[in-house]
Amino acid sequence: MDALNYFAMSWLSPDLLALTALGTFLGIYVGAIPGLSVTMAVSILISFTFSWDVNNALCLMVGVYMGGVYGGSRTAILLNIPGAPSAIATALDGYPLAKKGLAGEAIGLSTVMSVVGGFIGIFVLALAAPSIAEFAITFQPRDYMMLGILGIMLVGSLSGSSLAKGIFAGAFGLLIGTVGLDPMTADERFTFGIIELWDGINPVAVMIGMFGISEALHQLQHMNKAVIKQKISRIIPRLSDVKKYLPLSIRTSFIGVIVGALPGTGGDIAALMAYDHAKRTTKDPDVAFGEGAKEGLIAPESANNAAVGGAYIPMLTLGIPGDAVTAVFIGALFIHGLNPGPLLMVEQPHMFWFTVGNLTLANLFILVFGLTGIKLFSKIVECPKGILIPLIFLLSIVGAYAINNAITDIWWMLAFGVFGYFMRLYGFPVGPVILGVILSSLTDENWRRAILTERGSVIDLFAHMFTSPLSVVLLMTIVLILFTKTPLWTKMIKPKLFKI
Amino acid sequence: MSSHESIPETRKPGERLFGFLLIIGSVYLFWQSYKISGFSDLSSAGAFPMATAATMLLASCIVFVNTLKLPATQGMDFFSHCFPPIVAIIMALILIYAVVLESLGFILSSFIFLFISIQFLYRRSVLTTLAISLLSLIMVYIVFRLVFQVVLPEGIVPERDIIASITALWR
Repeated sequence: MDALNYFAMSWLSPDLLALTALGTFLGIYVGAIPGLSVTMAVSILISFTFSWDVNNALCLMVGVYMGGVYGGSRTAILLNIPGAPSAIATALDGYPLAKKGLAGEAIGLSTVMSVVGGFIGIFVLALAAPSIAEFAITFQPRDYMMLGILGIMLVGSLSGSSLAKGIFAGAFGLLIGTVGLDPMTADERFTFGIIELWDGINPVAVMIGMFGISEALHQLQHMNKAVIKQKISRIIPRLSDVKKYLPLSIRTSFIGVIVGALPGTGGDIAALMAYDHAKRTTKDPDVAFGEGAKEGLIAPESANNAAVGGAYIPMLTLGIPGDAVTAVFIGALFIHGLNPGPLLMVEQPHMFWFTVGNLTLANLFILVFGLTGIKLFSKIVECPKGILIPLIFLLSIVGAYAINNAITDIWWMLAFGVFGYFMRLYGFPVGPVILGVILSSLTDENWRRAILTERGSVIDLFAHMFTSPLSVVLLMTIVLILFTKTPLWTKMIKPKLFKI
Repeated sequence: MSSHESIPETRKPGERLFGFLLIIGSVYLFWQSYKISGFSDLSSAGAFPMATAATMLLASCIVFVNTLKLPATQGMDFFSHCFPPIVAIIMALILIYAVVLESLGFILSSFIFLFISIQFLYRRSVLTTLAISLLSLIMVYIVFRLVFQVVLPEGIVPERDIIASITALWR
């Protein structure tokens, strides 16, 4: 009964309801406007909302997250520019549909199927998370340490073709996270005698720099991309279409939720896998894939929204973010005094049910905003970059200042922004940096706990790993990821195994 | 989110230097982390930073060696393709904006920043830019200062007095 009360909390309070609606509305536009990303928006929002009541802040951010994942599809369909990486697969068939004059129908269908996917994701979250959290209580410190490393490695290896660059980025993030007084021994780490550094570098400043400033600087190079306008007709999809494609939508939603729940994988990979699934399982599509097949639009759209629910599972039960957006989200939860992980579910179960209720509400708002206001939408999305980019800089600077009312945070943000610009330029992923900053204290503390339990013996630590099935699986996964990037695998074993 | 940059088959201008600087930076950070508690204990405060700095060093060496093997991209110049003047100018503008933010105050410094950067990037008439900057600033101010109650530097503009006199007019 308590669970139901907390579930309905954001539905019954006018303030929370309005904030969720506002968040979802903003999220749809943020996700849709090329140049604005959900990660960027949530990073900036944290700095503005950290003094708020936790429920109010969560409602706004959950809305932005949910709306943002959906919003990316709009520009993918209308302009062939995916507003977010999770909408890359959507553009493959969405844009050809728009070129045929079916933009409205494509938007309507993708909205309904996104909502279906969203509900399936939330349902699985509500069902699976409590038992996973119960299981997670039995995790040893070494398992947490390995989960942290695994998350960073997966994001590092999946977000670029070079594992070394991903690992560098992840390790750099972990190192940034250690700056300040050591929480266990109060030793100074990388403080250079500066008292201001005792508290460490604010993760929000790093996030805004890496995702706000560096991304906007990068976009300065692509200022003059021509925008092709599309005619939008009927938006509400036909019931026969919804019925016809519902089974595919449900199947791909489950792909989405599973992929989303894996640490290191998010909506983008879920969407591409779902697209591939649709392509393989659709025997006789009315239109060929890549030329405007509705199946090719529905599959990724269902999957990427279902992945949101999936991504919440490791985030809330283990405190492990799946990708950069969830890493930023975990940062937000920490700032609001919540400690994501198995104990959150035990000590504050209301937060879990509140989040589930809130996600459901945001998903409903997607349906409302997704099927309305399309004229206003096409006007806003065409906002010239010459106006948009200075505004992003302005918000980033104000956001960084607002964290502590300190100019120091602005300097950190600018430094990470410029460094992030060069990292992106030379193909280094910036997602693992944020993941590293967030996971640093978890990995550090658990490493030290693990080694203290074994009385400082690394050999004992490794030996005892083989006594627990979970530790073995985690260790093997880490070894496998490393192994599949070595020349031994890529040049010798893989060609023979897959007969390339 | 455009963190998914695909690695080119060729080497961009400045990539070797960047890789080399990463190695130097990693060595420096490793030395700094060694200074925390040396090789005293695996559970010491410096053990984890040392492990991460060592990982950075190893990874940056691999990246550097891989970069050396790649052929340079033809027809690409550092100052026109990697760090074009537009990026450098905007970076300088942001820096100046951050420096004067506290002394000039949010309203004045943001207005000047918006006006100059929009005029530079959007290239329309001065009046249009003026209107866009003013409108954007008003919207940002209303949303963040008045609705979100974010404290912003006041500087030389007597912001509180202005707000007080405006509220007095309504009474």
